[in-house]
Amino acid sequence: MVLEKDMADNQSKTRAALARLCTEMTPQRFVLDSGLTVLVSEMPQFKGVHAVFGTRFGSADKSFSLDGQTVELPEGVAHFLEHKLFEDENGNDAFELFSATGASANAFTSFDKTCFLFSATDEIEKNLRILLDFVLHPYFSEKTVQKEQGIIAQEIRMYQDSPEFRMTFGLLGNLYHVCPVRSDIAGTVESIQKITPEMLYRCCEAFYAPDNMVLSVAGNVTARQVLEVCNGVKIAPSGHRLQRQKLQEPDTVFAKEKILKMQVSQPVWGIGYKGPGALGGEVKNELICDFITELLAGETSPLYNRLYDENLINAGFGGEYLSGPGYCSLIFGGETPDPKALQAAFEAEVQRLLKNGVDEEQFLCTKNQMLGQAIMGLESIEDVATDQAAVFLRGHSLYDEVEQLSALTARDVEAMLPTLLDREKCATILIMPTDNDGE
Amino acid sequence: MKRETIAPGVALTAIPADSFKSCRISLNFIVKGDRRTATAQALLPMVMERGWLECPDMQVLSRQLARLYGANLTVCGGTLGPNRTVTVSISGIRDEYAVGGENLLAEYLRLVFGVAFRPDVKDGAFSRDAVRVEKEKLKQLQKSEINDKRIYCLRQARRKFYGTDVAGLEKYGYPEDVGSITPEGLYATWLDMVTTAQLEVMALGVDGGTVRDRLLQELAGIRRQPVALNMPHAMPVGQTRFYEEPVDATQGKLCMLFTQRQTMTPEKLPAMRLAIALLGGTPTSRLFMNVREKKSLCYYCSASFSVIASCLSIDSGINTADAEKTRLAILSEMENLTNQPVSARELDGAVRYLTNALESVSDSLSGLEGWYLSEISRGTLKSPEQVLKELKAVTPQQVTQAMESFSLSVVYLLKGNGTDDCEEEML
Repeated sequence: MVLEKDMADNQSKTRAALARLCTEMTPQRFVLDSGLTVLVSEMPQFKGVHAVFGTRFGSADKSFSLDGQTVELPEGVAHFLEHKLFEDENGNDAFELFSATGASANAFTSFDKTCFLFSATDEIEKNLRILLDFVLHPYFSEKTVQKEQGIIAQEIRMYQDSPEFRMTFGLLGNLYHVCPVRSDIAGTVESIQKITPEMLYRCCEAFYAPDNMVLSVAGNVTARQVLEVCNGVKIAPSGHRLQRQKLQEPDTVFAKEKILKMQVSQPVWGIGYKGPGALGGEVKNELICDFITELLAGETSPLYNRLYDENLINAGFGGEYLSGPGYCSLIFGGETPDPKALQAAFEAEVQRLLKNGVDEEQFLCTKNQMLGQAIMGLESIEDVATDQAAVFLRGHSLYDEVEQLSALTARDVEAMLPTLLDREKCATILIMPTDNDGE
Repeated sequence: MKRETIAPGVALTAIPADSFKSCRISLNFIVKGDRRTATAQALLPMVMERGWLECPDMQVLSRQLARLYGANLTVCGGTLGPNRTVTVSISGIRDEYAVGGENLLAEYLRLVFGVAFRPDVKDGAFSRDAVRVEKEKLKQLQKSEINDKRIYCLRQARRKFYGTDVAGLEKYGYPEDVGSITPEGLYATWLDMVTTAQLEVMALGVDGGTVRDRLLQELAGIRRQPVALNMPHAMPVGQTRFYEEPVDATQGKLCMLFTQRQTMTPEKLPAMRLAIALLGGTPTSRLFMNVREKKSLCYYCSASFSVIASCLSIDSGINTADAEKTRLAILSEMENLTNQPVSARELDGAVRYLTNALESVSDSLSGLEGWYLSEISRGTLKSPEQVLKELKAVTPQQVTQAMESFSLSVVYLLKGNGTDDCEEEML
């Protein structure tokens, strides 16, 4: 009887905790006449407000048709546009406008989205107006585009010096033939020279249309405040027809191996697995990918602990997944004194996992860990605003993830292992120290 | 916020933070910096983080933490001016969010105090295997700084800036000292830490009384003899020293370190905060707007100030060919800030930026903890609201005066080769 009561108590606590999460993870949602979606999480216990204005336009969008006309973009346009939108026709910088209110502003571009953001504790309405205004009123000239090419070239060079960055994009370059995720989000020093003001205006018409965007706000603000600002800013509905064009990516990998030389203290080794592109962007598949990275290379995994103690890896070793429309891959890697031994051990562990299946204890631990991470994400206005914008742009919600995580079983993960860890669709990269560095 | 002295050299700061989903407890041991023990003190947190007496196995501990909804238990080493720190901390979701109804706080306390006060020690020595493995990891850490050229440039500049001064002790110790550390010697380092360190315990979103009781229990078994810490000091003013080092990188790095004539006193800090924000602490600072945006000389150019070291640092990612132009442009911005009046509009913008930052301190556990630990280390213990009042009273003249006190000590240039033609082979 006692046991039954305890079980009932626990089930009731579980239901209560999940119900609370559902409430806290569900923002108020509005769709304006212009087609813009507005998400607001009122969090009055905080002093600040974080706002994210995002669009479904990232480095993976290289080819599209607008009103029936095909547009092909060089690499790096979405990121270039992110930089350029901060400047208006009078040469004013949006950073300066935010600065006058004390707000802290920034922006970022990923494979599938571009987001502009600010954090502030004061003059929230004014900051929201600045945000909407500069993003929706672009101005480009030959001169300003040329100036930005110099700054972005510096940024590209900076990342070229990062071994982690070279490992990730080296692997993606090996895995994919034509999918744009194989290239640096910022493009190359050469590709950004091809960008013109006309090209940027065309991209704004196509992707900075309200029905392709979301405004996500979290913190000490009310939905009413946010809507009043939105209604006071003229946001015209899009008058254009956008069609994204997907490049036909073959199932095979582009190259099995690549070796680079850089000034690093010891070799860096990485391995990537290319999954079917159709799996990309789906919540359940992303959760499964997340599980696989932890099961294979996380701190709870037998492989990580064994290799760490054998000094084949250090604490920086790990895995991650990349997933979006048309791409889904897993990558693992880190520094090692003996890349051959690491590769042999890693591939043997993959075969063991495929043969023996998922360890139930590790699965349950990992599930709790992922649930905890989702809960922790709710205590920061930055995380809430950013995450709810990101999941909206991908077509789902924050609570979808918790709900699907709760329902996920070790068998679900096992069923996907052969597809996501296919030996025929894997590639490696090795970064070796330049001759004067290694021992 | 409530701070109380629990025992000589031991204080507990409890910060109510009930609006957060998580809570955090950190035990900050502050020990006197010393070249002879720096490497063992760098190794100690790495060995401690692997496990403790009740759970020496790293994988088992990782799974325990994952089961506790991904609680984060860390042991970190660091430097604090001329002294060193070892921080044992745990953070995780609060009990009311435990989907399975677990008593998480009890587990957090057991783990964080266990790792700090009951390490995996037998017969007066840490586990030989653990020490052997972590010594290798420490050697790798020492060597790996070259992988990140920005950090490498800053550290190289810092080495020239401090020379052999105790304030410049290496965070990861010294390669030549790693080999001689024994499991017995490392235990002696731990024992020295728990008996002589100043201990600052932070409890955020956790009942202070519960942490206090637990702390007193732990301290009851230790004969504490706290030792006075090294006093912070400014490095002397001298002729500027220039260094260049070629690296195999596409981008060059330029780091400039300035010293003050004397150690910063607390009453001058508000003006200094504003001066740094104006110079290079914000996206509209003079370095960002003029050196990066207008002159396109770099991708980043920012300034930061270490109160404890009285050191101003400006670092920048550049085209190596533009190094001299960038250096002169930075110095020109410094000079303008010193010689020309700051407009009320510009000052107001900086005050607003810092107001935003100060008001946001209470919006995260890490913000609150970082703020109060910094205040404690400076001996000021002011709230963000108090500091905000002080900032609003700063005059443009005081900002100018704050910048006058700096003298350029070290210029360190990493000369990138400007190309990304690293050898590449596709197989």
